Amino acid sequence: MSYLSIRGLHKSYGTTSIFSDIDCEIGKGEFVTLLGPSGCGKSTLLRCIAGLTEVGGGQILLDGDDLVPQAPQKRGIGMVFQSYALFPNMTVQQNVAFGLRMQKVAKEESAERVREALAMVELGDFAARYPHQLSGGQCQRVALARSLVTRPRLLLLDEPLSALDARIRKHLREQIRQIQRELGLTTIFVTHDQEEALVLSDRIFLMNAGQIVQSGDAETLYTAPVDVFAAGFIGNYNLLDASQASRLLDRPVSSRIAIRPEAIQIGSQGKIEAQIRSHSLLGNVIRYRIEARGVELLVDVLNRSADDMHANGQRIALNIDANAIREVA
Amino acid sequence: MSRADAIPAALYHRIVVWLLFLILLTPLAGTLLYSLSTSWSASILPDGLTFKWYLALWSDQRFLDAFGQSLLVCFGALALSVLLILPLLFVVHYHFPKLDGLMNILILLPFAVPPVVSSVGLLQLYGSGPLAMTGTPWILIGCYFTIALPFMYRAITNNLQAINLPDLMDAAHLLGASTWKAAFLVVLPNLRKGLMVSLFLSFSFLFGEFVFANMLVGTRYETLQVYLNNMKNSSGHFNSALVISYFFFVLVFTWAANRLNKDKS
Repeated sequence: MSYLSIRGLHKSYGTTSIFSDIDCEIGKGEFVTLLGPSGCGKSTLLRCIAGLTEVGGGQILLDGDDLVPQAPQKRGIGMVFQSYALFPNMTVQQNVAFGLRMQKVAKEESAERVREALAMVELGDFAARYPHQLSGGQCQRVALARSLVTRPRLLLLDEPLSALDARIRKHLREQIRQIQRELGLTTIFVTHDQEEALVLSDRIFLMNAGQIVQSGDAETLYTAPVDVFAAGFIGNYNLLDASQASRLLDRPVSSRIAIRPEAIQIGSQGKIEAQIRSHSLLGNVIRYRIEARGVELLVDVLNRSADDMHANGQRIALNIDANAIREVA
Repeated sequence: MSRADAIPAALYHRIVVWLLFLILLTPLAGTLLYSLSTSWSASILPDGLTFKWYLALWSDQRFLDAFGQSLLVCFGALALSVLLILPLLFVVHYHFPKLDGLMNILILLPFAVPPVVSSVGLLQLYGSGPLAMTGTPWILIGCYFTIALPFMYRAITNNLQAINLPDLMDAAHLLGASTWKAAFLVVLPNLRKGLMVSLFLSFSFLFGEFVFANMLVGTRYETLQVYLNNMKNSSGHFNSALVISYFFFVLVFTWAANRLNKDKS
């Protein structure tokens, strides 16, 4: 049985629908991600689960308990915000202890739990500092400790890494995942970054225009996009319409197809003749823009040796793995 | 810029600053010296120095009353401002952010209408009828509230925008705080700086206000500035002692309040 189930949830402002008929089931201890472009309704959905935004209708059941009529204070949900939302007038220690203070936890116990939470995010030595004395990454770790210390039933993360620079973002996302596993905490993570979603999640809910378009584990979403939006949002799929596809594959194709750029092989021998238009080096990968039978394609090649480098204008041959060609709606 | 150029430039900057300082301080220093002199008329320097004007001033019951009444009216108006404006700001910024535009126009009104015009209007409105209160301190407190409003609204609004109010409230709610608790424990302490700055600014402004005090209340509830005006025909030394005392009080008050308000962090 699922731990969190959302049934027929909808929300609109006036006549503008933010999301409608959202149904999803999340198991205990699962790490799921709501992934989608800005304005797709993912953050509003998260705020509705937290109780910070009222829903238009539907049910949110957490461990069999309907959250919709409950105030946010009573839901037992922890949340981390993109802006950190640390209280500037309080030290790190006081920030983390705030939730326990509201629950009237005894002083000694509170101090012990705050110490544990800060140790978990490796900020034990920063208890006496104020938020303005911390870096962005440290602030977000304090915010994480603050939401964990009350032992929430559900943890919500609203784009917690978006305001941080790339290196810290990678480190912190690993830390979040590790802590989540250790505590077995059911977590919903909101992001617009497909890489973050693929790396972190047990399951991903891909959202577009207020709907869940596709859900599944990272591999399913990456290798089997259900429609043009999913293929366009995850990875750098080559999307071809039926006539382009028929021309390229030299056989009748009746629908649109999507081909992953790394599923196309470049060599001196192959079925399809092509020419390199341009290339860019992305580090370990070389991304070629090539033209084959009047169709432009992106091809990613692992940069293993000088043999993998081809000059612009060079004529080459392509092989496309038949299993990597996906028909999309 | 080479080092040789830098020295005259620095010197020039210094001279400008000192000159400005001198221009601002000379009248004050002159007044101070005049208030301390026995008599000073036909010579470059005073004939002698004395504290007798200060003693006369600080033992004048009418002065002490005016001083106390000025303080009472100012603190009354500021207390009213805090009581009304803080909740107003919270409601505007947390629940109805769109109203901020309207408020920005409203708070300009006390500045847009000249004091002489608005005091005539106030005299007409509150001169008779059920709300007759001209000549009482109440009308002055109400009027001063409108003068303090723009200072306080702007300063605290800037403060509120800097702390990201909606996220702080959301975070506090999810950690179990009621809206009241969140407002008192999280929002209010973060507004201290803006609040204090606007209070000092309003206080110094209101403490020296003359036009409204003179027109709305006059001698029936004499404030410091009205008293100064009424004493204009007495000794210049005495008046100088009054001006210096007034200036010194505002200076010490602001300094002390600032000291008390120093950030602990």
